[in-house]
Amino acid sequence: MLWLLRRLGTSLLLMWVVASIVFLALHVVPGDPAEVLLSTGGTSPDPYAVAELRTRLGLDLPLHVQYGAFLAGLARGDLGVSLVDDYPVAEEIMLRLPRTLELILAGSLIAVLVGLPAGTYAAVRHGSGFDRGAGATAAVLQSVPVFVLGTLLILLFAQTLRWMPAGGYVPASESLLRHLVLLLLPALAVGKGLAAVVYRMTRASVLDALSRDHVRTARAKGLTPRRVLARHVVRNALSPVATVLGLHMGALLGGTVLVEYVFNWPGLSTPLLRAVEARDYPMVVGIILTVSALFLLINLAMDFLYAALDPRILRS
Amino acid sequence: MPHPNRRIVLASLAGLASLRLAGPAVAQPRPGVLRFGLAAWPPNLQPWVSTGAAAGTVKMLLHRRLLGFDAQGELRGELATEWKLDAEGAWVFTLRSDAVFHNGEKFTSADVKWSIEQIAGERSTAYYRAQMQQIERIETPDAATVRLVMKTPLATVPQWFTNYNMAIVWHGSRDANAPIGCGPYRVASQERGTFLELQAVPGYWLPGLPKSRTIRMTVYADENLRLAALQSGDVDMIEYVPWSGMAAVEADPRLSLVTQYGPFMDLLFNGTRPPFNDPRVRRACAHAIRREDIVRVAFSGRGKPLEGVPIVEGTPWWDAELAKGWAYDPDRARALLAEAGYPNGFSTTLLATSQFGMHQSTAEIAQRYLAAIGIQAELRLTDWSTRVSLGIRGQYDIAVHGVSADFNDPDGLTVVLDTSLSAAHGRSFGVQAPRTVELLAKGRAEFDPGKRVEIYKDMQRAALEEVPMVGLAWRAQGYGLDARLTGFANLPGALSTSSGAMLEYTGPG
Repeated sequence: MLWLLRRLGTSLLLMWVVASIVFLALHVVPGDPAEVLLSTGGTSPDPYAVAELRTRLGLDLPLHVQYGAFLAGLARGDLGVSLVDDYPVAEEIMLRLPRTLELILAGSLIAVLVGLPAGTYAAVRHGSGFDRGAGATAAVLQSVPVFVLGTLLILLFAQTLRWMPAGGYVPASESLLRHLVLLLLPALAVGKGLAAVVYRMTRASVLDALSRDHVRTARAKGLTPRRVLARHVVRNALSPVATVLGLHMGALLGGTVLVEYVFNWPGLSTPLLRAVEARDYPMVVGIILTVSALFLLINLAMDFLYAALDPRILRS
Repeated sequence: MPHPNRRIVLASLAGLASLRLAGPAVAQPRPGVLRFGLAAWPPNLQPWVSTGAAAGTVKMLLHRRLLGFDAQGELRGELATEWKLDAEGAWVFTLRSDAVFHNGEKFTSADVKWSIEQIAGERSTAYYRAQMQQIERIETPDAATVRLVMKTPLATVPQWFTNYNMAIVWHGSRDANAPIGCGPYRVASQERGTFLELQAVPGYWLPGLPKSRTIRMTVYADENLRLAALQSGDVDMIEYVPWSGMAAVEADPRLSLVTQYGPFMDLLFNGTRPPFNDPRVRRACAHAIRREDIVRVAFSGRGKPLEGVPIVEGTPWWDAELAKGWAYDPDRARALLAEAGYPNGFSTTLLATSQFGMHQSTAEIAQRYLAAIGIQAELRLTDWSTRVSLGIRGQYDIAVHGVSADFNDPDGLTVVLDTSLSAAHGRSFGVQAPRTVELLAKGRAEFDPGKRVEIYKDMQRAALEEVPMVGLAWRAQGYGLDARLTGFANLPGALSTSSGAMLEYTGPG
């Protein structure tokens, strides 16, 4: 119990540190929300209008007063409203977070569906043409930046072949088919790097498992190669693959920023980028806090999982 | 073990192809719906606050101004049917009697008076606040007449009322974020940052308009994706066609491209300290840069050199000789530097934003040409917000900027040329240009068209000497659209950014 409280306390402390760093950093860098808003499109704003807007937004208050109000809001669970249009930050996050998570899950699914069988087959046929070709493909997929791949996918499937839309989003409730079609290309772009990781990890694990004694014994007992592979090789090889997958899924939270931008997928990235440009402090802090909280939750869940698997952690 | 690779590849391609065959996978045109690709999300739709051209496009469809422009860029009435000076020098607007607000209330002169008062108010953040404060008195002798008594005589007052930040709003509106207008559309649905759907107002008071029942505006912030959306048929029309993609739109028989030279790139200076407090140094910079390279590199050839004050070609104020007043002449530039006491040049900084590619490219080319005459300018590339902040505070030596005049009359250049106004990121900081400023004021106060032409030519001569800014390049402002669409016009010159108003006339056939 004490362990659990300590972990929760550490997480809350980390959240406060993240929120404070982001809040203070945004106020230190040049750029004023009122000036930026009234200069949209290159126009030169009237300084009286800028001063009036600063007063309305509370930006003329001393920094420590703004920081105090910000922390008080956080303590009440209130993320505030956008400085640009008074839109509640929490509502924006609630709308967009599921879309970002959906993209990550779809990318991860593609990574598993491609990487797992390809890695297994490459290990079984190691040294073959397929093994060499898949290894080279994995290297290319890992090294090509997502925005390059994204742009190429759009160029090929949207502009040249006109098979797919260039980007965008339609809610599943409106049209499931269009929703899935629009999800496909960004999910491919998100999942390509992870697919390469899963492929390599699976290939190495399966190769390792194939050389184990229990596999040799299973073969000696007369089991079919398919059964040996399914029951004694892949099952044992999955554990390290799952660990790597878990670790990389967290990292994908950051990796989706470019993909969402390139494909116009309205997840968390669009409002985050727009808010940074506009120096919309409440929106930036709210989104970064949400992403940080997700990271911490994943870490916390992993800690619980390890503790459940190995009770010695709890005892120590 | 079978070989799954070939099967997987074939199955994947077949799957993608079947999605295409499924039809609804790719958005299809719907009758009465105009699908428009916006370049940016309007930060807000407050009617009088300047929040960019994208917001302007939407506001012009939700609201009406007193005056607008026809396809040729000539003034035409929107809520006003006539406008003239009376014998006492006041501007009199005769108003329409058939206009109705979205809440069913009739439009009257009281709404014009109330709107102007809100814009001019002490706590107003409106773009035209300073201009509206030049109105001494607003008289409304009847429901269809507004009389504006000015503090000083001004010829350009009608132009003010064409700006997309000058909507006339119902006088009972209380919510700044949801004011009641009397335009052809109202917002039917929206998702912040993603799309806006505008629905035609039932029984709109102008018969036959708007042409499209619905305008679905989707934001494509990335210019290449915006172009791809047009080419793949996801949208019927886009604004801000990227310069590098204009040739592809022109070559596609399904599409058409309409461009205008409206916005321009310029150099600004910090005139509060040496060396740029000396007009000879600023003039040296003006003669040092070969503009053709900027047009070629920053705009893929889709622009034209700007070697003088940015007066739109074809207007009465344009003069072929004055338009070449800062022509590329490196020898003259070196001579001017020597005359100013810098025969060996000097080191300085050049501020630009890296957020917009054309700003950065323009700065890089300017840097190279300045180096050729001995001015070693260190590039300072920042995000847009920082660029704005540094510009307003005068924390730079030279800066690259891109903007459009408020309107095609030379008075629309006041925002750029009048350095006596408050500090702004789009104007030189602390540069003294007294003759230019004086002639701008003189032109604004003159009502005789012939005399105005001469005054503004004198203003250009003064500006070429005093150099409140240096023009670099006109850039093409392009709309790409499905070739079957009719009714749209890209308005000429500085009005190009107001072309969104033409969407109410746009539709198939």
